[in-house]
Amino acid sequence: MGGGRSKRRGPKDLSSTVLLDRRALWTENAVPGTTVYGESLRRFSGREHRRWDPNRSKLGAAMLRTQADPAELLPEQGTSVLYLGAGHGTSVSHLYDHVCGEQNRLGGRLVCVDLAPRCLRELTHMATNRPGLVPVLGDARKHDAWGVLLPRKVNWLFQDVAQAGQVDMFVRACRRFLSVNGQGLLSLKAASERWTGEGEAALFAGVEQHLLEAGFQVEESIELTGYEDNHRLYHVTMLEA
Amino acid sequence: MRLWYDWRAAAVVNDRGDLVDVLEHDGHLTEHAVVERLRTLAQGGLIPEALTLKDRFPEAVPAVHGSPGLPDVAYPLPSDAQLALADQAAVRLSIEGVQQAASDPDRRMEHLVRGSEELRAAHLTMEARLIEWAGLFFPLFRVNDRSGFVRSVGHASTPEELAEDLDTVVPEILPTASEWRSMNEWAQDTAQAQSRLDRMENALRELTLSHLPSVSALLGPLLAARLCVEAHGRQRLARLPSGTVQVLGAEKAFFQHLKTGSSPPKHGHIFMHPWVNRSPRWVRGKIARMLAGKISIAARIDAFDGTPWGDEDVAKVEDQVIALREANQQPPSRRR
Repeated sequence: MGGGRSKRRGPKDLSSTVLLDRRALWTENAVPGTTVYGESLRRFSGREHRRWDPNRSKLGAAMLRTQADPAELLPEQGTSVLYLGAGHGTSVSHLYDHVCGEQNRLGGRLVCVDLAPRCLRELTHMATNRPGLVPVLGDARKHDAWGVLLPRKVNWLFQDVAQAGQVDMFVRACRRFLSVNGQGLLSLKAASERWTGEGEAALFAGVEQHLLEAGFQVEESIELTGYEDNHRLYHVTMLEA
Repeated sequence: MRLWYDWRAAAVVNDRGDLVDVLEHDGHLTEHAVVERLRTLAQGGLIPEALTLKDRFPEAVPAVHGSPGLPDVAYPLPSDAQLALADQAAVRLSIEGVQQAASDPDRRMEHLVRGSEELRAAHLTMEARLIEWAGLFFPLFRVNDRSGFVRSVGHASTPEELAEDLDTVVPEILPTASEWRSMNEWAQDTAQAQSRLDRMENALRELTLSHLPSVSALLGPLLAARLCVEAHGRQRLARLPSGTVQVLGAEKAFFQHLKTGSSPPKHGHIFMHPWVNRSPRWVRGKIARMLAGKISIAARIDAFDGTPWGDEDVAKVEDQVIALREANQQPPSRRR
């Protein structure tokens, strides 16, 4: 893999708690000594880090695949962010390491919504020793049910729901919760959308058009094949309404 | 005029964007109280402050914080400390939600059905091995009662005692002491697996009789449970077309049919019912089709709070089964 990249000595910092070591991402463990999903642990300059597995986290995969600076995909540390479709918390755990840090020393807030009680089980376990992580059992489309947990708009919103109408859902969620110039990330599963018969390329192009028309600036559309087949991650910026 | 509210405050805002009236919860809020408030909101209800303001301004249209169309004014938003309290309450609420999942009989039924399937498979292979194994040393004994034989092997402390118990001759070649002990323990495990399976199926029967009374009355609780699990829940079973219910459990044959055009399966799990498997081959499809229709009706009764079927309703279906059998006594001729 890789090849052609300039050789760096030592890991590169993407934030105070996230680093890129050759082709692997590591985040400083917010709960040292424990792993969340069996990932490997390693010390970098005396601090324990967890390896961010790109095969299990679309956000991690996108950061390795992006043509731009991977740090741009991450929210600002210590801010409030919204994650729709939190799943078993693989990405969420690393995002927590980045946004909040150990015992939330950075003062961030991470609201994660998922519909499946099975997934929330993992998230609530994680939340018990991660202040600032707010799991919500609810439908990501029913904003009224949990929207009061976000009194102010967020600057970063991630959606990974793998169901039909994901793009409309994303647009609605961004309009309600994302501030102007905020970053939105949409993980799109091609198989969840209606098949038009024109192939995946046409489908992805249609989505991009849809996002442009909804008033977003599409920064990048990141192909995740290899880590997560038939998936694409769109990085957009919310423009003035 | 709009009535803005979140989990701790409410405000009335007029069409010019002025806050006409504001009501905030000023006292101390316990975590429990916040949980209750968040729950109310999640269910689409109004918090006490909003209700009070609604009384004062009946014409104000309530809209929860963040709703599209609310004017962008300085609402009384929670402080950081209050927000931290809301976070704790949200964690508590989601833990409660996760615990609620255990009250879903569909999920419990799935574990009981799949678990008993696994246990049955394990038990059958263990039993078969024991009979072959012990039969090697007692070739003159014919096993008729398989589970009785398993118990006898498990209870006997020596091969001689077993021979006496089985009323057969002590064989010339005996297992070594350690081999006998292994065989004896294997038999005890097998017998134990059997009783565990029985208990598990009783638990499943109990659960299914309360969750799917009509389908259980029609098919028996074990088959009803299997269909429900295969359909991924009672709600889904009730919404499936009866043609799908008919072939639930025959997915392999069904997709083979779609793929290659081979003849479609006539029955899935419902083949296990004696009305189907004890009928002549050429009537089974007709009975399965009729029965699947009745299962759909029964599942809908159970899922949407109908009056459960009793013996009379089941007897009516049985009459139809008999009528179908009688109308088709002869196999259809091969030629048309």
